Amino acid sequence: MKARGRRTGGRHSQAAASATADLFADGHAGTDGDTYADTGPAEARPGCAAQAIVRAVPPPPQLIARPRIKQLWYAAVFPELMEPQRPAHRAASMLQRLSLSAQQFTSLVSIDMPNALLLEIKGSVKLFGSLAILHASIDAAWSRFSLRAHSAMAPTTLAALWLARAGKRVCIEDPGQLAGELAELPIACTSWDPERLQTLRAMGVTRMGELLRLPRAGIARRFSPAAVLDLDIALARQAAPRRAFVPRERFRERGDFETEIETVVYLQKALEPVVERCAQFLRERQAGVQALELKLRHRVLPVTRVRCGLASITSERRRLADVLDEKLNRLELAAPVRGMELLSGSLQPLSSDSLDAFAGLRGDVRVGGTAPQLVERLRARLGEEAVYGVVSIAEHRPEAAWQRVHELHLTSAVRAGMRGDVRVLDMPRPVWLLDEPVLLSADLRKKGLILEQGPERIESGWWDGKDVARDYYIARQLHGARWWVFQERQTQSWYLHGVFA
Amino acid sequence: MPREVASLADILADARVWKLKDASAGLRPSRPVWSTGRSALDARLPGGGWPTASLVEVLLETTGLGEIQLFLPALVECQHRIDGEVPWLIWIAPPHEPYAPALAQQGIELSRLLVVRPASATEALWAAEQALSSGVCAAVLLWLQGTDDRWLRRLKLAAEAGGALGVLFRPERHRFESSPASLRVAMTQGEHETHLELVKVQGGRPGPVEFRLT
Repeated sequence: MKARGRRTGGRHSQAAASATADLFADGHAGTDGDTYADTGPAEARPGCAAQAIVRAVPPPPQLIARPRIKQLWYAAVFPELMEPQRPAHRAASMLQRLSLSAQQFTSLVSIDMPNALLLEIKGSVKLFGSLAILHASIDAAWSRFSLRAHSAMAPTTLAALWLARAGKRVCIEDPGQLAGELAELPIACTSWDPERLQTLRAMGVTRMGELLRLPRAGIARRFSPAAVLDLDIALARQAAPRRAFVPRERFRERGDFETEIETVVYLQKALEPVVERCAQFLRERQAGVQALELKLRHRVLPVTRVRCGLASITSERRRLADVLDEKLNRLELAAPVRGMELLSGSLQPLSSDSLDAFAGLRGDVRVGGTAPQLVERLRARLGEEAVYGVVSIAEHRPEAAWQRVHELHLTSAVRAGMRGDVRVLDMPRPVWLLDEPVLLSADLRKKGLILEQGPERIESGWWDGKDVARDYYIARQLHGARWWVFQERQTQSWYLHGVFA
Repeated sequence: MPREVASLADILADARVWKLKDASAGLRPSRPVWSTGRSALDARLPGGGWPTASLVEVLLETTGLGEIQLFLPALVECQHRIDGEVPWLIWIAPPHEPYAPALAQQGIELSRLLVVRPASATEALWAAEQALSSGVCAAVLLWLQGTDDRWLRRLKLAAEAGGALGVLFRPERHRFESSPASLRVAMTQGEHETHLELVKVQGGRPGPVEFRLT
């Protein structure tokens, strides 16, 4: 028995159709009690070596769940969303819009990337009169988007999906019929990866029926336990919870003033309760935003838009108010304001980083708040570009060895001792680097500079056309500062590149 | 001949007499000092280093006199001494681009360094006030050409509120103007080296400091 198992294992790479029987036969010869075609309870298998090898395969679930299944799934597949000229993100946003529209039929809509939707419609059948009417009305909903759709209904998600992919517009209500109905479908309807499908075809398996007749352990070992799980789900042997589509929410509140507002101060006062409600809205959803937009409507002039960005996701009223206040303080009203509208950016889940609940308990002095708040306040007044960080880059050319960064990691904790690797440099580097090297006159070089340290030869960058060949020195200027100078090797001319401060 | 004194109260009233108890009570633990990395300078500063929660003014005519080197040991120390979160350093309106490799070489935590480039002096002062009082910065370095007394007083109050070290770099011509800074240092370039003079030291003795900067 053992020897046989090993021999078969060694032939896994063979994919000849004639090998099919052999591949899946070992260890189970004579006992086909766990193939899918059989719907009866699994028989106890005699202990054998093959069992030890495929321990990862779950035993066939007892079919106790079957009578309890009360679900009916509608699947719609949109072949046009897979067309190569359509970008993937467009398809994703289209699916979002379709899901929103599908929510008129049921509250449980699930997106199956890349091009399908699943609707649980058991509860909606009565509401629409009959299954046929419901099926037709959902199908009609897609035509509004001028999209072609293949649809099918089945008691399980995957069965419905596979039927829809195969283009069979059927409605199966009894889980017992599933195996029979699926049998005729081509195996491509599973949309498993092409390699797996190719192997199956090479084994002579082209229809689902043939696939279902193969032994479970064989499928699991030959492909993956996930394949077995898929089949279990399709045949209602295994529960498969789906993530429901939740429409994207935003905070939005608009209002008109009884009298026109002419000064920013009154505007800020009027905004206070709205911001409070916005923060409340976010708290209730345990979400935060990273952007706000305030629209101010005037009588004649077009709407004034005030856009605020926050340095990190937040739901705190004070931070939202701070940023709006700072923006409004710098706003010159072009005309009196008749009404306003506050819109939040898309809601994002609050991470534990952004919850600073214990800030006040740490005992340190916290007067003005947190780092994100500070950066927001500075950026709101000085502009996004005016506040930045710097990073060091492993690069030999001094001017390319650093970069400005505007994406700041404000909330991630950096703890003492968490030092990045510091590159060991031959010579000290100056604290100030000039934007451009300044050419030094020959006179200044001869009389005014004392070379203290060097040379450090830097030759690099031939690959991107900005190649340098320089000898760097630390030089002391008479009656002055310490400079970082270099001599260009080609022209022999001297440049000032940095100042040691 | 020393002047005769009537009582202990008279001695204590003398401005030159400085009570050690007051100083140490004020310095610990909410207001630590950060060593300048040079013992000759530390010895002249009350508490033995740059005072936190206060404003320090550095007067110098041109950059490149080693003015950053005066503060770098303190900046590194404050980022790495405190357990837990590394505090922020904010440089406002520096005369050139701070060169990241040099700072990393010296031990500065670059991910906690922020450079701010305001459009005007007023905005620079406003930014400095915000940063100093925020409580998230360990040190705020500010470069300015000129400003008035009122703004300096606001900066000092902000530094005290936020517990940060505020360092203001100004041209030397402001030396003879009054300033609310608790410490004023003038740097001048001599024949071979930088001279350093303490113009004003709250709780200490002004005068030149003898040491080599490099």
